[in-house]
Amino acid sequence: MTTNKINKEDTLKLLKEWSREFTVFVPSKDNGVAAMVEWDGKDIGFLDWYRNTTIPAKSSFLPPMEEMFSFQNNGDGYQLKLSPDQHKRIIFGIRPCDARALSIIDKVFTESYEDPFYVSKRENTVLIGLSCTNPYDSCFCTSLEVKPTESADVDLMFTDTGDKFIIEEITDKGKDLLALTGVVKKATKADVAKATVVKASISKMVTRKIDTKNISKKLQASFGDKDYWMKVAAKCISCGICTLLCPTCCCFDICDELSKKQGARYRRWDSCGFSNYTQMPMENPREEKWRRVRQKVCHKFEFYPMNSEVIACTGCGRCIRLCPVNWDITEVLASMPAEQLTKK
Amino acid sequence: MQQKLRNEAKKLLEENKVDYIIGFAPGSLKFSITPLITKEKEEVADLVINPFIVNNLAKFLTEIPGRVGIVAKACDSRSIVSLIQDNQVIRENVVIIGVPCSGLIDIAKVEKLVCKDRDAISDIALNGEKITVTIGGRNTELPKEDVLFDNCLACEFPTPREYDILIGEPVDSTSSRSDRNKIKELEGLTSEQRWDFWKSQFSRCIKCYACRQVCPACFCERCFVEESEPQWVSPVPKWQDNLIFQVIRNIHLAGRCTDCGECERVCPVNIPLRSLTKKMCEIVNEMFNYQAGTDKNAPPLMTAYEYEEAKNLIR
Repeated sequence: MTTNKINKEDTLKLLKEWSREFTVFVPSKDNGVAAMVEWDGKDIGFLDWYRNTTIPAKSSFLPPMEEMFSFQNNGDGYQLKLSPDQHKRIIFGIRPCDARALSIIDKVFTESYEDPFYVSKRENTVLIGLSCTNPYDSCFCTSLEVKPTESADVDLMFTDTGDKFIIEEITDKGKDLLALTGVVKKATKADVAKATVVKASISKMVTRKIDTKNISKKLQASFGDKDYWMKVAAKCISCGICTLLCPTCCCFDICDELSKKQGARYRRWDSCGFSNYTQMPMENPREEKWRRVRQKVCHKFEFYPMNSEVIACTGCGRCIRLCPVNWDITEVLASMPAEQLTKK
Repeated sequence: MQQKLRNEAKKLLEENKVDYIIGFAPGSLKFSITPLITKEKEEVADLVINPFIVNNLAKFLTEIPGRVGIVAKACDSRSIVSLIQDNQVIRENVVIIGVPCSGLIDIAKVEKLVCKDRDAISDIALNGEKITVTIGGRNTELPKEDVLFDNCLACEFPTPREYDILIGEPVDSTSSRSDRNKIKELEGLTSEQRWDFWKSQFSRCIKCYACRQVCPACFCERCFVEESEPQWVSPVPKWQDNLIFQVIRNIHLAGRCTDCGECERVCPVNIPLRSLTKKMCEIVNEMFNYQAGTDKNAPPLMTAYEYEEAKNLIR
């Protein structure tokens, strides 16, 4: 693996060079909330404020709403217009937790069926990771085998060492991207050594922890404890924040919109926290709040690992920092009845 | 004050006057609190009162069974009164533990003023009309008026009017009109400009419904947006549908909204929802001389009318 470097002030030049061939997305607050947004071609101010975006980078692959196709009848039958996303994109600055989340949800969109909308966006996008140098107090990524400097899920990895970024080439896609630019230089041994020191110090900044050992088994053992789940769920207000803004939650609903002789099919984010999520004509198996809260926890930490051998959580901490009532998953997991048994 | 609250709450449980206590406990993040809903008298030792007790706990009254002792700031107590008016809560089943409140600190405003995120701040202390923010050993003083929530700046009733037990001394209203800055700005726009403004705001709504879920006045068992036959609004988060949702929600809240500010606080995408709800409250007050949750014996605003009103309004 080759390691390169770039002076931070040259980031502007670099993004300009890349934006000739790619649509570049960067962290931005211009639309009123921090999200990955198409770069305006000049502003790199995000390098000063960016910690992580409120809207996770999954929204660049599974948007809050997406037109799947539209149709129209012009008098000679129905014409179908497909709307898959095909342009070549770079997402610059994705955090390791959000990049890992994409690797996790890839399984949903590729294993039992291939989802053309998601897959085409994944194939046409180069992920450029940016090591987290200032994790939030709500972050707990290190408990989930994601370091704040983790490079496994991106094509190129940038790490801030003060006045420079050290750049690791992870995939061929990333390597090709570096060939397009003249502002990147080979890193020296001293640069690499400095990056190693920085990386080691950042991991220590993540202090919130969960214990993932035997977590599926513990949840299995706690599943039937209705009193526990009712107590845990009592303060939940059943909004969709923790799920819709979770980088690994990827449930969607499909809706048709019809008007005279034309229409469109959309998909949109959906949440198991909503009471009508499992609404069926005859009944709703998760009518009560505690069943929905239990589902959310068990899906991430028990069912998903059972099916795909990976926990569907990357410790990004959004569900803790954005929760209107401070419902904290790390506290809930630590207070499981089975957890208490092992401590006794 | 905090100790008195804990003693009172414990007594209520011990004397079997209530089945549950709802109050505020310390949260898991700096300057955060979390609702405490408990039957256990040991747990009431966690109850706190501080300038960060943001949640309107009246929200939980419609779902907790039995008799409840509830910690209520003035706006929460107005929400409880409003729920009593709407027959959602039975007065006799609730012991209101009133907490006079001289305003809550909006962390987002503090963050903006000190250019640091919440977790980089070591301490925030309220000293009379100033707050002291400590960051890495250095203190910064800010005027209280600059860091309180907008709805707190506007608060006319800082002491609960409906309560069974009052913790602490009554507080006088210091309401100023600086809470209207955002609204005033909108009032200064042309209707086209205002339309564009709300279009851009509602374009980023993700339909998480936190605004509705956190609101005590949104007590419908089934919200109109979830109706599928007929489908009043699309479940797809298009800005038009997001806007319609808020417009109808505001009409439903007329005479029920107590300006507790929770909808705006919890919005994860920062839509200034209070600019709609507060304006709606002002219109309600202007047209009907009515402030929500101030009289438990009054009929709910939208279910009753006077003959004079009918003459002017229904033609």
